[in-house]
Amino acid sequence: MAKLERMELVSRKIFRGRMKGERRSKRKGQSVEFADFRNYVNGDDLRFIDWNLFARMDRLYLKIFLEEEDLHFYTIIDDSMSMDFGEPSKFFVAKQIAASLAYIGLCRGDRVSVSSFETSASPVVIRGKSSAHRLLGHLESLSCVTSAVTMAESIKRFCVKNSGKGIVVLVTDLMNKSGYESALRMLVAREMDIFLIHLLSPEELSPAAQGDLKLVDCEDGDQREVSISAGLLNRYQQTLAAFIQQAKSFCSKRSITYVPARSDQAADVLVNEYLRTKGLVR
Amino acid sequence: MSWISALGPLQWLLILSIPPAVLSLYFLKLKRREVAVPSTLLWRKALEDVHVNSIWQRLRKNLLLYLQLLFLALLILACLRPGWSGQNRTGERRIYIIDNSASMQATDVSPSRLELAKKKVRELLSDTSTDDVGMVIAFSDRADVRQGFTQDRNRLQSAVDSIPTTSRGTDVSEALRAAAGLANPGRSSFDNLSDIMVADAIPATVYLVSDGAFGDLGDFDVGKLKIEYVPIGQAKTNNLGIVSFAVQRNEDKAGRLEAFARIINRGDVKVEFSASLELDGKLLDASAGSVDAGQEAGLLFELTDTEEGKLKLTLDYEDAFLVDNVAYAAIRPAKQMNVLLVTPGNTALETALQTSKVQQIASVQIESPNFLTYPRYQSATVDADFDLIIYDQCSPVQMPTSNTLFIGSVPPTTSEDTADGPKIDSWKFGPLQGPAIILDVNRNNSITQYLEMASVMIVEARTITPSESGTVLMSSDIGPVFSVAPRGPFQDAVLGFSIVQSTAEGSSRNTNWGTTRSFPVFVYSAIEFLGGGITESSSPTVQPGWPIGLMLSNRFKVFKVVAPDGQTTELTRGDESRYTFTKTDIPGIYEVFAIGVEKPVESFCVNLFSARESDLEVAEAIKMGYEKVAATSATIQARQETWRWILLIGLGLLVLEWIVFNRRVFI
Repeated sequence: MAKLERMELVSRKIFRGRMKGERRSKRKGQSVEFADFRNYVNGDDLRFIDWNLFARMDRLYLKIFLEEEDLHFYTIIDDSMSMDFGEPSKFFVAKQIAASLAYIGLCRGDRVSVSSFETSASPVVIRGKSSAHRLLGHLESLSCVTSAVTMAESIKRFCVKNSGKGIVVLVTDLMNKSGYESALRMLVAREMDIFLIHLLSPEELSPAAQGDLKLVDCEDGDQREVSISAGLLNRYQQTLAAFIQQAKSFCSKRSITYVPARSDQAADVLVNEYLRTKGLVR
Repeated sequence: MSWISALGPLQWLLILSIPPAVLSLYFLKLKRREVAVPSTLLWRKALEDVHVNSIWQRLRKNLLLYLQLLFLALLILACLRPGWSGQNRTGERRIYIIDNSASMQATDVSPSRLELAKKKVRELLSDTSTDDVGMVIAFSDRADVRQGFTQDRNRLQSAVDSIPTTSRGTDVSEALRAAAGLANPGRSSFDNLSDIMVADAIPATVYLVSDGAFGDLGDFDVGKLKIEYVPIGQAKTNNLGIVSFAVQRNEDKAGRLEAFARIINRGDVKVEFSASLELDGKLLDASAGSVDAGQEAGLLFELTDTEEGKLKLTLDYEDAFLVDNVAYAAIRPAKQMNVLLVTPGNTALETALQTSKVQQIASVQIESPNFLTYPRYQSATVDADFDLIIYDQCSPVQMPTSNTLFIGSVPPTTSEDTADGPKIDSWKFGPLQGPAIILDVNRNNSITQYLEMASVMIVEARTITPSESGTVLMSSDIGPVFSVAPRGPFQDAVLGFSIVQSTAEGSSRNTNWGTTRSFPVFVYSAIEFLGGGITESSSPTVQPGWPIGLMLSNRFKVFKVVAPDGQTTELTRGDESRYTFTKTDIPGIYEVFAIGVEKPVESFCVNLFSARESDLEVAEAIKMGYEKVAATSATIQARQETWRWILLIGLGLLVLEWIVFNRRVFI
């Protein structure tokens, strides 16, 4: 917790906030950080006139300060049934990651919003370190749901409801048969700073299954009959690598930060070390 | 390539239905274990290339199925029993006749001809199919069926391996008759004349593995036998051999012995050789000589001051065949037999016993008839001190334990019942009548073979009819007058007329035989034959494996024969006076010992002495009647069955399949 408190969420973009916060904003406003001078025009607030400069130049200049605003920090957790796999489950790890990041945001006074695909239309928005228990309580209440809300649909809902810009951390395994591309495109279109944490369990990375199996998809009940062989496993690995590579290149093309993660990796390690190198936290 | 189906139509139907069944099994769904996965997304992508949407695609690239179908195809192919050059049907009969005569010991081929022959037969055996039946016959001068017909190749192999070397001669005809007896069966029943050829003639192939040292086979009818002659040995093998070795007394120089050997050179070049003669293991004499190619040479050794001993002649010449480079001869020990003559007085007989010839072989004791009552006589007869007792004009109360010759008297018979003890039985003695003229003399008997009785006149004689096992030696106009018959181990000879008639007044001649030249001959022959005498200075010699008849002293009941290798064989006296000894396989000197006597009572030699065996030339062809069988390379034109190999490949496939299944190999 202490470590998290020292951290700070970093956005590569500067967004406008709704309330005064600790972030520099594009908007000029009231803060200690000086931005520029401009000529005084009628109606300007006299409080911002630089009297020293008036004494020297005998002309009225207005000091413009950078406005410090809060940061909108959204965390969207994939709550599809596929996330319920692994030991610990991917969903649990995703919640840990979300909690860590949100706590960092809370400590810095950012506007933190945590939601899952299911609840993306009505996210819990909290602010301030003292509301941390609310955040955790909300995360606790989240669970994987069978109702197949596709990624694209929930992101669409999210975009509609949240007009503000900010950082979006999407924790998902991308195991969506209808594709993740449209969802990400929507976020990109909102000019958000997007982090995609691609969370995969070891079972997916290197399946240990053997023999003649009937694989059942836990989301849609799709059945695949396979006779696991060295060749098939080999091909699975190739497919997996291609899948990851595809996601990575899709993200890099759209300035989305792609962060691969394993569910058997501790969440704090991910947040402390990995996301720091990726530039999400400082 | 030919095809012989191993299955019936119904079985074929069954086996051909298996591949479709296997195929259909692949269409059926496997009962698979259900495993929940986060998403089949990746699996679906991985499976996309093998994804099936039609049945034929489903079968595409399924290595397991291919392997199974291949295995089945091989199985079916194996059931067709494909084979090469199918000339022969199954169960061919092969007879392997292997020469193990003396000449097969020759080492002109390595390690020896016999070993090479065995090797060739083993190769032949390994070429045969398992359905073939084989028979192994070894032959030297006789046939030895080592293994009757069997399919068991191991038994045939071990039968071949167990064929011993012999030093015998060669005679293939018996072996061929044994083989032909099977291939050309005759009539089984002679009672029913309609029953001809009950058994079918079974064609058989005879592999005659030999060096061919048996000459032509005359008019041997091979019938349905197919003879393949496999020659063993190198052509043009030189050999020097002893074909004769004997010891004779020098007629001119008394007490001198001559050893004579005949050496034959069966080679293409003149050979210089030396020979050494050993007496009882010590070098006695040596001689050198030369013999031209294809010729014979003689060697003569003079032996002085040698009365008895074992002679061994060795040719100091290295050739491929060493058996015929050694010859053995034994000088007979000068042995005398004990003869007792019981007579009231018989000048002619006594004179005949004084001849030097008789003196050489026998020591004669002459006693009067009173002697028969002496205890000394009793104990002598019981202890068998005499080899022969001659009763002239007298007869004992009971028969002695020795050979007897009765002259002018009759032996005690059971019918007279005069005393206890052994008597002769079932002889018939006629009354005295005369005169008598000898009409016939048995020339087959040793006693009478040289007798000339034409001028002999007899005043009176009685007929002597021997027992059933006896032999009439002389017949006169009144009937048989001289007969001999065995009495257990002994021989009894009874002459139906006396030479002189001794009475109280004196003696009168009963016949003029005593004054003729044939009488001493008769006495000598009788003593030689009835006394078990041996007169030749050299022991008899036989070829290896041949039986030898031994005339041994009747004083002993048990004899033992010591072979050159030290093996002892006991000879027990049966009902015959002549012993036959058959274990004469090893060349060398055999000695016969009587129990309790230190010196050998008799000896004989076993020598190869065969110019044919010494000839190591390999026959290129053998003549059989009008047929000539040329040498063939020992190969079997047999059906080479391949179905086993196919089956083996199938099994290999099965293993591969197992590996594929376990290792998840994919194409």
